[in-house]
This record gives sequence, structure tokens and C-alpha cells, in this order.
Amino acid sequence: MAKPAARIGLLQAMLLLGALAVVGRAGQLQLVEGAKWRAEAEQSRKERVVLPARRGGIYDRNGDALAVTQEYFEVGVAPNELRSPVRDARTIAKALKLPVARVQRDIATKKWVPYPGPYNGLEVQDLRGLRGVYLDGEYQRHYPAGPLARAVIGGLTADSGRGASGIELALDAELHGAPGEAVVLKDTRGRRYVSPSRLEREPVPGRDIYLTIDAELQEIAERALEDATREFEARGGDIVILDVHTGELLALASRSRDGDRSVTNRATFFTDPFEPGSTAKLFTAGALLTHARVDSTDEVFAENGAWRFPTNSRGAFRTINDVHKIQGNVTLAGAIKYSSNIAMAKFSERLTPTEQFEALRAFGFGSPAGVEFPSEARGELRMPHLWDSYAKASVAMGYAFAVTPVQLAAAYGAIANDGVLLTPTLVREIRDPGGKVLYQHRPEPVRRAVSPAVAARLRAYLQLVVGDGGTAESAQLANYPIAGKTGTALRYDGGRYQDGHYTASFAAIWPADQPQLAMAVKLDDPRGSRYYGGTTAAPMTRAMLQEALASRRSAIDRRQLVGPAEPTETAPAPEPEEPAVSRVVFGLPLQADTAARPGRRPVPNVAGNSLRKAANTLHRRGFRVAVRGSGLVRRTTPVAGDSAGFGAIVTIWAE
Amino acid sequence: MTAPAVRHPGELRWETRLLAVVTATLVALGIATIYGASSLVRSRGEIIGGSYALTQFTGALVGGILMLIVARIDYRVLRPLAWPLLLASILALVVIILPFTPSFIAPRINGAKRWLRVGPVQFQASEVVRLAVIIWCAMLATKKGEQVREFKKGLMPFLVILGIISGLILLQPNMSMAVLISLLGGIVLFAAGAKIGHFLLLGLGAVIGGLQVIQRAGYRAERLDKFLNGAEGTSQIYQSLVGIGSGRLFGVGFGEGQQKMGYLPYAYSDFIFSAIAEEWGFLGVCLVVTLFGIFVWLGLRIARTAEDAFGRYLAVGLTAMVGVTALMHMAVTLSLMPTTGLTLPFVSFGRSSLVVSLVGVGILISIGRMRGKPGGRLGGSAPGRAATRSPR
Repeated sequence: MAKPAARIGLLQAMLLLGALAVVGRAGQLQLVEGAKWRAEAEQSRKERVVLPARRGGIYDRNGDALAVTQEYFEVGVAPNELRSPVRDARTIAKALKLPVARVQRDIATKKWVPYPGPYNGLEVQDLRGLRGVYLDGEYQRHYPAGPLARAVIGGLTADSGRGASGIELALDAELHGAPGEAVVLKDTRGRRYVSPSRLEREPVPGRDIYLTIDAELQEIAERALEDATREFEARGGDIVILDVHTGELLALASRSRDGDRSVTNRATFFTDPFEPGSTAKLFTAGALLTHARVDSTDEVFAENGAWRFPTNSRGAFRTINDVHKIQGNVTLAGAIKYSSNIAMAKFSERLTPTEQFEALRAFGFGSPAGVEFPSEARGELRMPHLWDSYAKASVAMGYAFAVTPVQLAAAYGAIANDGVLLTPTLVREIRDPGGKVLYQHRPEPVRRAVSPAVAARLRAYLQLVVGDGGTAESAQLANYPIAGKTGTALRYDGGRYQDGHYTASFAAIWPADQPQLAMAVKLDDPRGSRYYGGTTAAPMTRAMLQEALASRRSAIDRRQLVGPAEPTETAPAPEPEEPAVSRVVFGLPLQADTAARPGRRPVPNVAGNSLRKAANTLHRRGFRVAVRGSGLVRRTTPVAGDSAGFGAIVTIWAE
Repeated sequence: MTAPAVRHPGELRWETRLLAVVTATLVALGIATIYGASSLVRSRGEIIGGSYALTQFTGALVGGILMLIVARIDYRVLRPLAWPLLLASILALVVIILPFTPSFIAPRINGAKRWLRVGPVQFQASEVVRLAVIIWCAMLATKKGEQVREFKKGLMPFLVILGIISGLILLQPNMSMAVLISLLGGIVLFAAGAKIGHFLLLGLGAVIGGLQVIQRAGYRAERLDKFLNGAEGTSQIYQSLVGIGSGRLFGVGFGEGQQKMGYLPYAYSDFIFSAIAEEWGFLGVCLVVTLFGIFVWLGLRIARTAEDAFGRYLAVGLTAMVGVTALMHMAVTLSLMPTTGLTLPFVSFGRSSLVVSLVGVGILISIGRMRGKPGGRLGGSAPGRAATRSPR
């Protein structure tokens, strides 16, 4: 039968054809396209992984940790990989502080045992290198001081671990470090096979920030504020304490409550301006002294505590009242001591609006203080040509303009610092992970606000306030005199001043004769029986200072407190640098012409331009400008071509 | 082509011996590859380790012993057993798909009911059915003789039985096996001389019917779609190509393959050829194709020289069972065909498949050994003994 043989032959030929097709196709894939497929395989099996860099820590001025990043571990045990289950169980139990019996029971299941922990590096130290024990590390941010100074420190975003607010945001670039990179093998389910991993770049840990904050003083301030808001039934308040010789902010406390909602501590000391009221009388006094419009014997009639101030020529008037009604005439010193609105309004008529405006500008009002913080208010200070006659009197009394608590404290610091205004700062040092100091804060004079002589006079006035009969008598300390000024300003809300609602404040320098600290204490709307600055904020300040003195370690320099009996120890206060190196931050309205959208943009090259032209260029690009030196622009920080956020400060270095 | 006459049993003994050697080589290659491709895979949370390779090894032992036994039995005893075997197969398939069959008899594994458990032995019923169908087809084709050229009297009975069995397997569901069994039956009929015109007609009907079945099962349509529209980066077939391609000429080395690390599912069974091609390269592909080529060549040689028509058709069916399955498996991994669940005979993980394939080889060897031994042609109850009694 030949037919079947032919059919079998046909079948064989078809199978042979199939086999040839298979070999041909394999040849095409493996020989012709082989290199492509292998590259494809390599690529899909390798993955670049980011090795997270440890974020730098944030510490107080004494090195107490406020925010640290620690590596925490999750421990996993593969029982069948253990070399000696009995001994290893004991090691694991000891390291993880678990009962030995439990670990033995877990291991006996022969299944993967997870111990989620988290355990810190010290705890898992003995488990390193143990076969069958796997450590899965992860960095976690940690705030050891709890809520202390959290408004300043800020926090991280939940997902990216980048700064979201506060110092964490402002100095994120320093803190974050540079993540490393490695190539690892992985399978489709994303499981990584670590052994052939190749390190491309080591992660560089972030830098450590040493704040100017003194944790102890901060705690005292926060507690004082909490007690005071409760005692005086205030809506909220702020406390700012700074070192007058360096501008370093030692304590920043804030509380605010809107309506019945829970208390928050936003950084209102930077962000929320208020009308300072009588605490600002001193600055008008400074202008009067600077321009020599008064001498110590000049007096004005105090109108027995109520004065009809003519607001136009047709006889309209507004009545100015004094709480402390003075009979007869009063000097400028008396006007400060008794906080006479009438006397200040009358004295201010000896100044032009521009002179008054410039005095306030000189003390830093109306422009951001320049603290390393993501958000800061400029306050409010209208241009003098917009002032009417009553506005001039209002400004003299501390109304019609608004300041932030930090601005107020910095201005009082200038009075204490012989008239030189310093940029308040939060950052004392930046160190690399090895501890090398990369940046150290030096006092940054903004400008001379008043001459040393005028500053001395103003300090003398302040001492009167807390002296016998002054409005802040209750602030006085027995051993170390305090010098300060109270303020009780009507609150402006909903378009008008609210009767019976006040902002009570007290701005002070301490000790009066050789000042170290400047303080601004503010209470919003105290509702109790007491609401004057002299009866609320002033005694708070005294209590705080007493506590600070009693504490073992705070930023108070005790050698200076010993007093002039030992002249060798009273190192003269550092001679304030004349503002040859001035730092001016122009706070022009940020309306960028190039891009309406906020976002990162490149810094333009302005080298060789005049300061004015450079500043203009930068403003148009949406940056704020700080100027160092004068003349032609040499360079900028960030350098030209770097990108910076909308509204970031670009420093121009000129020679 | 005329078949060389085999004058005495010893004349072409090298064929059956080489067949056994080729088979053993493929089995050994299979066990080694399974170990490499499965040992790092996790199944139900446990690392498989050496357990699959060990299972396969026991299958090889059992199958090898059965092969040796079957090889010594005259294949002609199968002729009267064809109907009982077929009916038992149909019964087994019915038992499996009945919804009320307790799961200790017909467990559901990976969403399909394909396994049958008899006492301690658990096997994939369709693998055994495959063998039974080939034997039955060979028997009926021999019986029909020239009648297979007619449609009604010749082809119809085949169509009915193959239709029933394919339908039952389709219900498991196991489409690729249903198609394969129909194909193998067709090949036996083709060898027996059925009209080519009939095949063309039936082929058309099968394609239409097949497409309808495909459309009713989502995963099949998806597989077909993937085949027709090109493989994507994440798909199984694409990973198979990545593995094969990256093997290049010499392969990445035994055990060094990466695709099994979770990229290519079932690298130890449905895609074992891909694993071999990755680790052994183009040379490995040629080796495997050559081994199967030798197997088919020898099988068809035996078929041509078989002592009787039953032996011839049986040998064709058994050879095709190995050759066609292997070809389809390789074509799938090379993306020459839509994805199916077919394994590579002797090589892929799967004890039922291995044992059945080895038994098939045993029958093939028996057909080869019986050449030149006309003694058993009458089909006695003890053909082996009958053969020894006839010395000529």
C-alpha cells in the first residue's frame, strides 16, 4: 500500500517545515535581534533606586534636638535560613525585647515572621549579619520636643518627606541632602534582589540647623502665653524674645483661636500684623529727638485727659482721650511714662508726615524683617502723602499702621542696641553631618535707626514707664530693672474700631542699664476684668523673666548681670558695625511681568548692571531683592541661571 | 517512497534503541530545566525549591518503568482494548465535569476541573484520553480500510466520537487539548488515506466553530488578540520573546536565566522552551529541535515499516502526539501561534503528561520491535509469549 507511505511522507515534510520555521524564528530572535532583546531584558530587570538621604536635624541654640531623622527598622525572620534556630531565637528575643518563648514559637512555624517594630538602629545592632534575619530600614522624622516651637520648626509633607512649613520648608534645601542612587535587579512584582546592587552615588545626608531658639526660654514663653491667655481670657497672643546684640530670636510663642475653634499655634508672630498702640509712641519720640524738635524741658498742655482734635476747617473734630488723665502740662518723657495720647498727638505736630514715616521705616516697619521663614508679613505703613492730619496724630499714638510682633521686638532691640537695627534671625549655625560649621550667624545690621544718644534717651524714657507711677510698674523686677512700654490698642475689626476690645501689649528691653533681651508680648482681646497692657502683658513679662533667671540654662548672660562692679568682665557691647554693609530688602509688590503663574524660574544675569537696573530686572522676574554693598553688581545669590521660587529673595552683591 | 521490508526483528533494533535514548535525553533535560525554572518560584507562599523537579523525577521513574513494560508487550493487544479504553475515557471526562462530583475525585485546580483522583493517584484525564483516542482511531481506521475515503460510512463515526470527546474536554475547560486531540485524530485518518477534500471542509468548519468558542471565553479572545496585534511589554508572550532573544547564540548559561524570576509565568511548563532557549541559546534551540526531529523521523520510520496497518496508524498517531505537541509548544513560545496551554512533551513539568508520553514511546518501541515478527498478527491473548514461540 503505497498510499499511506506517501501520506506519512507528506506528514513528515510538514513537520519538518514546522521545525524549520521554529529554528528560523529562533535564529531571527536570538542571532539577528539578540542584542536588542538582551538590552531589553537588562533594562526591564534593572531599576534605579533612590537611596534616601538622612534629613538634617534641627536643634536649639544649645544643641537640644527639636527635629531629628532616625532610621527605624522592621525586622523579618526567615526561620529556615537561620543557622542555629535555638541560639538565634535568643538573640532576636533579646534585641527586640520580646519573650524568648514567643520568638521560639514564631520560628517553629517555619514561616516568615515579621516584627514590624519600628526598632531603632541600636536595637537591631546585634541582628546585623545574622543569616535569615532581614532588616528593612526607613527614615522617619521625629520631633523629640513635642509641640515645643512647632510653629517655627514646621513639618514635612506626608508623601515626599520634603519641608511643608516653617524652618523645615525655609531651609529644606540645606536639610534635605542629596539622595543617592543605586541599580538593583528586580522582578516583575517589584521584588528587588539586592545582592548585585551597584551603588551609583552615595546619599549625602542633609545639614544640621542650629536655631537661635533657646528651648528653655521657649518653653517658659509658651507656658506664660498659655497661662496668660487662660487667665485673661484672651483670644490669643504672641511672645517674641530676641538678643539685642545679635538679632537672634530666642523664643517665639504664639496662640490663636478663631471663634470657638481649637487653639492653634500658627507662626502669627511673623504673619499677623497688629496696631501696636502705645508701644509705638517711642518711635515718634525718637523722631522728635533726632530732629531736635523737643528738649527735655519742652511741655505741651495735656488737656486734662480729653482733647477735641479738629479734623477739618469746618469745625469737625474727634476726641482724643487719655486713660491716665494728666492735669496741666507734660514733657515728652512724661508723655511716654503716662502714655498720653494727647501729648503725643500734640508733639507729633512738630514733625512732617515724611519725618514720622521715615522714623518708622528706619525701625523696620512696613518691610519684612527678613527672617529665614517661609511666610512673613510686611505689616502696614502707608506712604506719608496719603496721611491726613488725623492720621499723623494716629500714627503718633500707635494707630493707623500695623506691625508684626517680630518687627516690634526688633525695633526695641535697635533701641537697646544703641540705635542700630539688626535683622532678626532664626538660624544660628548650619553644620555639615560631620559637625563642621558651614554657616554661623553674625549680626546683620539693617541700618542705624537712631543715634546712640537718642537711643540712650529712649531707654531712659522706657525706664520711667516701669518706674513708680508708670503704666508698667507691675513689670518691674527687684534686682534687674526692666525698661519697656505698654500698649492697649482698640481692635480694628469689621471696618471699625470695636469698643471694649483691645490688643494689650508690652514691648521691653532687659536689663534696663545693659540690655540683653528685647521682648514683644501681645495679647489679643483679653476679656477678663483686666485688659490694659500694663495689667496683662507687663506682669506676664516679669513672670517670664523671673522664670528665665531661675532656670539653670537660658540665653541670659549672667556675667553681664553681675554688673559693673567687675569692669574686666563687662566686655563692652560689640561696637555695632556702621551699615557699610547694608542689607536692604525691597518689598515691592510682586507682580511679575514674565509669568503670572508662581513657580520656579531662573535668576537672570544682572552682573555689570547698576543696582537700580538689576533690582528692576529681578523684580520683573518676580523676585525680591536684597542688596549688599553699592556700585555695580558683581554677582547674585542664587547665581544667574539657578532657579528660585516666585518671591524668593535674591541677594545682589555689588562693589 | 516505499517502506523497506523488515525481514527479522533484530535488523532495525537501532531505531528503537535510539528512540529510547532520545526520549531519555529529553526527559533528563526537562528535569534539569524544571529545577532551574521553578526552584525560585513561590507557589501558595512557599518557595518551590526542588519539589517540582522531584515530582517530575518520580514521574520519569514511573513512566520509564511503564515504557519498558509496554515495549515488551505486543501492541496488538491494544486493538481489542480500543473500545473499552475509549469508553472509559469518556466516562472519566463525564465524571470530571459533572457538577456534583465530589472534589476528592475531581478537584478544581487553577479554575479548571482537569484532574481525576483515583485512590492515591491523581492525573490529568485528558492526557490519558489523548492516548486512548489515538489507539481508537488507529483501530477504527484499520477496520474501515478503504472505507475511510467515504464520508458517511468512513468519516462520520470518527467525527461523532472525536466531537463528543473534544466537547467534553472543552467543558473542563481546556481548549488547546480539545484542538490537539481532534488534530491527532485527523492525522491518523490522514495517514489512513481519508480524502483531502473532506479535511479541507472539516478544517473550515473547525475554524468557524473554534472562533465562536474563543469568543465565549474572555481569556482566549485576549490571547488571540495579543497574538494578532503584537505583544506588549508586560505580556507573557513578550517576556517569552525577551528571554529567547536574550539567549543569543550560546545562551546566558544554565541556571542563569532571569526571565523565570517572575517575569515569565510557567517558565517550567507552558513556556519551558523559552527557558531553555534563554539559558542555552540558539544552540540549545537547535539541540531540542534536532532531538524532536530525530524522534519524529524514527517514529515515522517505524510507522512505514510497521508489520500491519494498525501498527502503522498507531505509530503515526503516537509520533504526531509528540511531534505536533512539541511544535505547537515551540511555536507558541516564539509567538508564531496564539498562546495555548500546551506543554513540551517529556520536558515540561507535568507528571500525567510525562507518564502518558512515555507509555506512548513504549507502544512505539513495541511496534518497532514487532516488525518482522508475524507471529502475533492474529492477536492472541498473550502475544509476547506467542512471539517467542514462533522462532522464524
